[in-house]
Amino acid sequence: MARSSGNKISKSTRKKTQFTQKICRFCADKVTRIIFYDIKSLKPLISERGKIVSSRISGNCAMHQRRLTTAIKRARNIALLPFAEAS
Amino acid sequence: MKSYQSVLILKADLDDAQVDQVIEKITEFLSKNNGSLLKVDKWGKKRLGYRIKKSRFGYYLNIYHTCESLKVSALEADYKLYDLILKFLVIKLSAKELEQEMKSDEIDNGVEEAKEKKPVTKSESDNGVEEVKEKN
Repeated sequence: MARSSGNKISKSTRKKTQFTQKICRFCADKVTRIIFYDIKSLKPLISERGKIVSSRISGNCAMHQRRLTTAIKRARNIALLPFAEAS
Repeated sequence: MKSYQSVLILKADLDDAQVDQVIEKITEFLSKNNGSLLKVDKWGKKRLGYRIKKSRFGYYLNIYHTCESLKVSALEADYKLYDLILKFLVIKLSAKELEQEMKSDEIDNGVEEAKEKKPVTKSESDNGVEEVKEKN
């Protein structure tokens, strides 16, 4: 909301804040279903400690982030991914 | 009849014969309960994300099957009792998901550990079987 209303204010009154719009990587590939045993696609969305990377950082859309979390949790359950990794 | 996917982690040091035994046991259970086996993927030996029952490696089996929805808990209890299975995961699949799974080929994810398997010469295979039994 704030972002869209910000664009309507004339450019001269507002300082331009530069931010690049992150695109959801799953939307870009038109993936509807995230498969929990496809670790190659899950690995980049996990931190070094094994935490799930937030959508704020990764730029994923809400729908895919929801599906991603269930996929990662399933992968953890069956020991394809670690719950926590030593730093 | 609903379709399910169950992923099993077996002990890492099993022969092919023992793996087939596990699959046979599951088919037996399913046929008793009006279910059927659709597809079996052997992912092979892999390094586990964390230790399960003190083992660092496991043999992965991916099975697609149908089962009566009331008998799934019984199936899970069966998995628990079978001592060759370290851990398991049973997931319900919708019709669409099942179609995709049956179409898709195996996804190769980090099967580098499988290369570590010790080469067993055929002449010593009889001895090899005995050794495995002792370990169990």
